[in-house]
Order: sequence, then structure tokens, then C-alpha cells
Amino acid sequence: MSDSAGPSPHRVATVVDDADRAVLGRIADGELRALDELYERYKTMAYSIAYRITNDATLAEDVVQDAFLGAWRNAARYLEERGSVKTWLLAIVHHRAIDAVRRRRPTSELPEREAIPPAELRLPDVWAEVSSRLDVATVRDALATLSDVQREAIELAYFGGLTQVEVAERTATPLGTVKSRMRLGLLSMRRVLLDAEDRALPASVQGAGAPAGIDRR
Amino acid sequence: MTDLTRPTRPDLTCDDVRELAASFVLGALDEDEADAVRAHVATCTDPHAELAELGSVLTALAESVPVVQPPAELKGRILAAAAADIEGRASLAPVTTAPATTAPATTAPATTTPATTTPATTTPATTTPATSETPAPTPFPSATERQQRAAGRAGPGIWILRIAAVLAIALLGGWNLLLQGQLGEARTYEQNVAAVLAVAGQPGSLTAVLTATGGQGPAGLAAVASDGSVRIAMRELPATTGTQVYETWVIGGDGVPRALGGFRVGPTGVAYFEGGGVPAQDGIVLALTLEPGPGATAPSSAPVSLGKAVAAG
Repeated sequence: MSDSAGPSPHRVATVVDDADRAVLGRIADGELRALDELYERYKTMAYSIAYRITNDATLAEDVVQDAFLGAWRNAARYLEERGSVKTWLLAIVHHRAIDAVRRRRPTSELPEREAIPPAELRLPDVWAEVSSRLDVATVRDALATLSDVQREAIELAYFGGLTQVEVAERTATPLGTVKSRMRLGLLSMRRVLLDAEDRALPASVQGAGAPAGIDRR
Repeated sequence: MTDLTRPTRPDLTCDDVRELAASFVLGALDEDEADAVRAHVATCTDPHAELAELGSVLTALAESVPVVQPPAELKGRILAAAAADIEGRASLAPVTTAPATTAPATTAPATTTPATTTPATTTPATTTPATSETPAPTPFPSATERQQRAAGRAGPGIWILRIAAVLAIALLGGWNLLLQGQLGEARTYEQNVAAVLAVAGQPGSLTAVLTATGGQGPAGLAAVASDGSVRIAMRELPATTGTQVYETWVIGGDGVPRALGGFRVGPTGVAYFEGGGVPAQDGIVLALTLEPGPGATAPSSAPVSLGKAVAAG
């Protein structure tokens, strides 16, 4: 599936992040034009993901609107954190899209929630590490490292909005195995991304207490 | 344990969090579990780098999705919603009045002038808009409103009117009000514009954008219904003093100004006027003049703001 190594991604992450944070600062000051700029920058990413998850144009629009309104309202709070604005936005969009599909699901055991807990928006200090723009080949390579069962577990969760328990039920797999698939899958994708970014990051994940290494590639 | 003020459910250990990290970043925990992870991370001395490390992979997942462009009109909706939501922002002081989430037709538009001193034609005059069943300041449209829409029991296009009002404010250059922190005024003006738009949206009605000569100064929006009633929302009018009033005039094909009634304006510069007896003919001109007292039969000075009424849409 993967066919090219692609050019090595340039390190524009910091520059982009700084620009994003400047825009966010203006949003925090209540400048609507700055919200306009942020929207123009990330509308495609936001909408594409929302659409992929909800598979419904109206719902996706609502999700994107909610997400940017969340950014509008919480920009000041977020500025206290250190992290990539893009990842933060991505997290909001993802969270709200998942929330929307879970709410739509008739058999959902999840309680109806009126509002997203604000805690969601406080996450980003641990989300600081992000690359700004990944080239297509790198993304493809990273996905190609997944085994079929890992990919299934990750996609059901991330795009399907299933909880790990639901993934286990759906795939008739023990919960522990599902957890491992998700974890090992993300780790192997991460290795590819790190290589591509040729950027030395602490390899602390490698040996960090893996639960049960059931699904090795 | 610095400020763990809220009781958390099951306390997680660091090992628990490490084990849940992948599921957490994928959004595969239920809300209680996810909250427990957040609560742990918020107070733990271990930075739990694994969350960031695994989370960084999501960018790649996200960029693997097919690209779909959002509809062009979504941006306008978002900006309008943000503007209307301005008082809901945590960092800003709340407005004292309830938000205009009721339909403008049933909302008494707020003006800053006591009605008792103005001619009978100026009906709305209360500074407290109808509170009705509206809860505290809501996001816009709030989750509740959207659920109501989805459930088919939504009000008559309430949020559409509010969006239209905010967009109209944008077109009229009213961002200044919004951006200068004059939230009360902005909110009042938005309610007034929404009331005007409620008329403007009716068949056979005319709308007029009122501007000051030279562009700088009092501006607003007016709508004339087919029955001859007129609504005008104004901003940036200098405050009236003493017996002064702003008189509203309609100038028809004969070029003769006819008085519609007057109103006073407080320090906010925001005003709302309702009157009747206006010929709903395309091309009539609506104008405001500052008069020394109520009851003028002819303008004593040049208009402070005026505009030509044209067929809506």
C-alpha cells in the first residue's frame, strides 16, 4: 500500500503554532475577524473529520459550528496551555462528532449530555506534541503499519465512536485484546511518524508498561 | 493535590492511566472513565507523556480522511453565532438583560428612552426585554434549541432571525459595538435589528439602511410593512437632552416630509422606533432629524441619518 517515502516533512510546526496562537490571542480578545482566520485555516480539516465520523452533512456542520464556537469561548483559557492549536481544534471536533453519533445511536447506553464537560478543553497541555502538516505518503505509511485487527479497532473507536467495550463486543474480542490492539497500533504508527519527522524524541513509549502484547505485527 | 475541588469517581493509578492512554486519546472511553483520566492527569506529578505521544498519532489518522469542503455559508453562521454568543464568553461580564431568544414579534424591543415622554407612535420603550421562558444566556443556537429544531418543535425561525440580525449588524458596520465591549448596547441593538428584520421578512415589505451623510455617525436599519407600519433600529445617535427628540420623517414622491413621531435617546446611542401610516412604496425615504421638542411638523435641521426604502430581497 505504501509506495513512496516522500520528501521529509519540513519543520514548520513551530512557526505554524506560533501563528495560530497569535490568532487565538486575538480571538480571546473578542476579535471576530480572528475567528474568521482560524476558520479559514482549519475549516477543511474540521469538516472532513466531522463528516467522516457523522456521515451526515447537517450533523457535520453542527459539529464544526459547535467546535469553532467552543474555540471562540475558550480561547483565553486555552492560551494558558501550551499546545498546538490545530491539535486542540482537532480534539474538540473529534469529541463533538463522537458525541453526536453516540447521541444519535438509538441503543446507546450513554446518558444524554447537555453540554460537553469543559475538562475536554483542558487536555491540550498533554497534547503539545504535534506535527503541523503531515505529507500524504507519511500518513499512508503510518496506516500501512497497522495489522487488520489493529486498524479495525482504531477505526471503530476513532471514526465510529465506539467505546473500547463496544469495540470488544462488536468484534467478539476480549476487552484486554482490544486495548492492546489500540495501543500497539498507535505505537507503531507513531514510530513511522517519528522516523518521518526525523526528530529525536524520547523513546520512552517503547518500553512503558505495555499491558499484554497480544497483537504483535 | 493542589486544587482537586470536585470529588472524582474511581481514583486511577498512574499505571491505570498508562493502560487506558490509547483508548483515551482515541475517545474510546466512556465519559466517566475519561473524566477519571483527566482528573488524574490534572493533579499527577507524572506528566504522563504517553498521552501526548499517542495523541500525536491522531493527526495522522485525521489527515487520512477524504477531504470534504464545508458549505460556504457555514462560515457566516459560525461568525454570526459567535457574535451573538459574545455575552456568553467566560471572560466577559454578563449582560444584565435576558438574551433575545424569543421571537422578535413577541419580544418588546428595548430602547433607552422612557415611553411616557414620547409621542404615542413610539410603542416599545421598556429597557427590560421580555424575559419569557428564556433561560440564562444561551449559546447560539443552543444545544437545546437545536434539539428542539431536530424534534420539530422549534419556534418560528428564532435563531435564523438572530443570525440575520447579527449579519445585518455586520453589514451595517455595527461590529464596533460588539468589539468595543459595549455588550449591553450591542445586545439591545441586535434585538432591535431582529425586530426590524421580522418585518423586513414579510411579503411586500420594504427595507432601508439609514446612514449619516458622510458615512460616519448615526446608522440603522428600517423596515416598512405592507400595512404601512414601520420599525427602525438605530445606533450611535447622540443622546438627546432636555426636551429634544429625534423626529422620524417619511418623504414620498411629492418630496414633502411627513412626521411619523419622535423618540429620545440615552447615552448608549441605541434606539428603536415603531410607527405607522407610511406608504409602502418603493423609493420612499426615511429620515431622522434632531428637533428641539416633540410635535414638529417640518424638519428644523438637516437629517442626522436617512435612507431610501426598497423592496426587500
